[in-house]
Amino acid sequence: MKQKTDVQQGTLALMVLKTLDVLGPLHGYGIARRIEQISGDLLSVNQGTLYPVLLRLEHEGAVASDWGASENNRRARFYRLTREGRRQLQAEVQDWRQTTEIVARFLTVKPESL
Amino acid sequence: MRALNRLFARLRNFITNRRIDRRLQEEIEQHLNFQANENIRAGMAPEEARRQAVLKFGSVQTVREDCHSEEGLPLVEGVLQDLHYALRVLRNSSAFTLVAVVTLALGIGANTTVFSVVDAVLLRPLPYMHPERLVEAESFFDRNSSPSNLSYPDFFDWRAQNHSFEHLVSYHDNSYTLTGVGRAVYVGAQVVSWDLLPMLGLHPAIGRGFTPGEEKRGTRVVLLSHALWQSQFGADKTVLGQTIQLSGETFTVIGVMPANFRFPITAPKTDLWTTLAVDDTPTGDGITNRGMHYLNAMGRLKPGLTVEQADQEMKAITARLAKQYPDTNTTHNSARVESELDAVLGDTKTLIVVILCAVALVLLIACGNIANLLLARVSDRRREIAMRSALGASRVRIIRQLLIESLALSVVGGVTGCALAFLCTPMVLRLIGDSVPRAADAGVNLQVLGFGLTVTLISGLLFGVVPALKASKTDVVPTLKTGGVSNISGRDRMRSTVIVGQVALGIVLSAGAGLLISSFAKLMHQGLGFQPEHLLTFRFETPDYRYKTTREQFYREYFERLRALPGVQSASGTLVLPMSNDNADVTFENPEHPVPAGQRPSADISLISPGYFNTMLVPILKGRDFTDADAPDALQVMIINQAFAEKYFPGEDPIGKKLKPGAGGGRPGGPPMREVVGVVGNIRHSMTQRHERPGYFLPASQLPSWCCMASVVRTSVDPISLEPSVRQLVTSIDKDIPVTDVRTMPELMSLQLSQPRFAMVLLGAFAGLALLLTVVGLYGVMMYSVSRRTREIGVRLALGAQRATVLRMVLRDASLLLASGIVIGLVAWLGFASVLKTMLYGTAERDPLVLAAVCVVVAMTGLLAAWLPALRAAAVEPMQALRVD
Repeated sequence: MKQKTDVQQGTLALMVLKTLDVLGPLHGYGIARRIEQISGDLLSVNQGTLYPVLLRLEHEGAVASDWGASENNRRARFYRLTREGRRQLQAEVQDWRQTTEIVARFLTVKPESL
Repeated sequence: MRALNRLFARLRNFITNRRIDRRLQEEIEQHLNFQANENIRAGMAPEEARRQAVLKFGSVQTVREDCHSEEGLPLVEGVLQDLHYALRVLRNSSAFTLVAVVTLALGIGANTTVFSVVDAVLLRPLPYMHPERLVEAESFFDRNSSPSNLSYPDFFDWRAQNHSFEHLVSYHDNSYTLTGVGRAVYVGAQVVSWDLLPMLGLHPAIGRGFTPGEEKRGTRVVLLSHALWQSQFGADKTVLGQTIQLSGETFTVIGVMPANFRFPITAPKTDLWTTLAVDDTPTGDGITNRGMHYLNAMGRLKPGLTVEQADQEMKAITARLAKQYPDTNTTHNSARVESELDAVLGDTKTLIVVILCAVALVLLIACGNIANLLLARVSDRRREIAMRSALGASRVRIIRQLLIESLALSVVGGVTGCALAFLCTPMVLRLIGDSVPRAADAGVNLQVLGFGLTVTLISGLLFGVVPALKASKTDVVPTLKTGGVSNISGRDRMRSTVIVGQVALGIVLSAGAGLLISSFAKLMHQGLGFQPEHLLTFRFETPDYRYKTTREQFYREYFERLRALPGVQSASGTLVLPMSNDNADVTFENPEHPVPAGQRPSADISLISPGYFNTMLVPILKGRDFTDADAPDALQVMIINQAFAEKYFPGEDPIGKKLKPGAGGGRPGGPPMREVVGVVGNIRHSMTQRHERPGYFLPASQLPSWCCMASVVRTSVDPISLEPSVRQLVTSIDKDIPVTDVRTMPELMSLQLSQPRFAMVLLGAFAGLALLLTVVGLYGVMMYSVSRRTREIGVRLALGAQRATVLRMVLRDASLLLASGIVIGLVAWLGFASVLKTMLYGTAERDPLVLAAVCVVVAMTGLLAAWLPALRAAAVEPMQALRVD
């Protein structure tokens, strides 16, 4: 079994939070579809990896879940962002921006600009 | 915060046992449906759509496992699962479990019990403030290093000249008769310097402590013990400032000590404390005579000073005093300062440590047995273990499983052991009696239970780790193929090593126990120089305020009436009662061999009344006993013992020789010259006395100022049955004289033997236990090896080997193990033997006879244990054995 890196796990959690933030309550498949659409193939092989992340976020109090009816009236479990989740999202977005900015700057550095 | 939330959620799941598995399954099912529908809409056939959905989802099992490890506490759950499994395994092999638990319970119970004593005696700090700065100081003669007490002038010089101590306090015991409050009672007292309480850092429960001025001549103040305050004064607070009568003198009560106050630690029954002013009498020289050594000294070191620094300073001061006062201090020319706890414990520290080591060895042997049992079980369980690892259990997982089994075993044994300790501790305490200071405070408390638990876990790891490591190395394929039966000799070598180690430890313990038993037997059967049976002893005081001038007459009348009591054959008195830890040592001058005052020899002294030797049944070897004719004004006489005669009058007739013992009769002109009128046999003064000591006797009638004689009565009936009549007799003469310490002579002897007895019984019990465990272990190993070799033996028999040969072969294997163990054990004993030196009497610590006997006993019991397996091996039916497998 290949261990997922923390970055991937963290990225996935961030994507879940952002998706729920933008689209409101969604069931697991909806979240997976959405992430797939935006990120391309991150989840195309292992959609299932989403579920442990969702469970972990739920344990952390960032999301809450309830049974509900899907668009075609089937029973499905819907996840929604909690206030704690929103706060977590903000903090993580901030972190992420900072990190990417720094990394980007490093990657674009040319010898003559040093 | 997030991590905390997560932990709480896990804990909640763990406690409520909530499982999201079903919910997850439903979610996954929905997920797959959504995806399949999507695929169908994209134009796939339904089966293909479903297949692609499943592919896209990835491993459902992995997701479930990931989710599972996210919920609850997987490590704890795993351990619990292992534990559950372990308990089932242990329950299923109940015979093994029973043997292991009983073995462990005995080992851990014994260790916990001993530790409860160690805790109270060695580990607890003294009940004073900053006890680590408290020290005991004593003087000694550097030529024979035997410690001695201090005289007041020496103590005052020490106190004035030292720079090491915040406080230096003298103390010695004393006794009084408390009258005027109910019936007269005998009270034990300590006479101390004023600053006892500041030195200890304690305060009275009520009232105040002593002031410096209360050391002054004529002051009479007391602090009462809580117990005396309650029993004699009804816990009445108005007792403060009141006066009480102690042996006819008036004392003012200034305070009551707290209930838990104890000083000295070794005299827990002290009833009151008073200042050294009581020794400063106008007529006596108790406080001014540099030659009267009867004080102990305890000090509190100044902060930052070490015991060694204080020791150096006191040595210097004492050497200076010896030069300054050669007449009195030549034989007290050095000093020793040691930590108070060490001083309190003395030799008993060795005893306790020896017992602790012994009991630890027992546990080690017990662990060896269980390790061997487990190793045997591992061999039998190889198939199960191979199966588990074939099913994917990692090596760590298998080790964990087996270790949890051992720990479960040890915890069950440990809990049983601690319960055993609860039962055994009071028994051990009864055995110890007063022979070990502070032991009476022992009990199974939290600390002791903590120790028990620690020992439990350590032993669980100790006996579990090797079998677990061995088992985890099981090769899967061959084991599964052969059905788990194959012989690996390495494992047997391990088991043999354990057995050899156990036998060696058993030898060490049995040697120690054997020597103590031999020593105790010699103590019990030593010649005492008198007949202890049918002797009753008791004490009472004849205080000066009543009997100063009439003491001689009082005793004469009293003994006459005592001898007239029915059941009394003879009766007499002695200042120093044998077997009661009393001792007095006084110098004497020999005019034929004059020496400077400071170098005069000294010998044991006792004052006796006529008929003492007759009562004790001590032979008078030469000359005569004292009689009533040896009156105060008659010829001054003395009687010496045989050891004295041999040492100071070798080859001469001592009768008629003149000596001047330094024992004054309180008359002007100092001690008189005395004539030796008799020589008597040596009397043992203590059960644990190592040599015959020179001693001499003076007639009490010629030194009537000396108080007080103990009574010895030889009876024709059961001695203790006379107790009421002797009490009544004394009360009828003077109702204010309480009779104390009514004991038979065998009882006194038994009390004196309590420390050797306790050492012998405990070490004997541990050695017995060790031997039993070793024998059981050896039996187990031999039995197992025989069952393993059934086939080989069958082949041998089939090829024509005699049954006797097989029997010999098994016994030879066992003998080899035993012999190796015995040799190693003996060598180890010879190395460690000297620790027992102070605990042995009349037996050398390497006594060859005892050691030989111990080896024979171990070898015989060991061979006996190997006999049954050997018989079984010899009884193997070749055809059956070959058909096995």
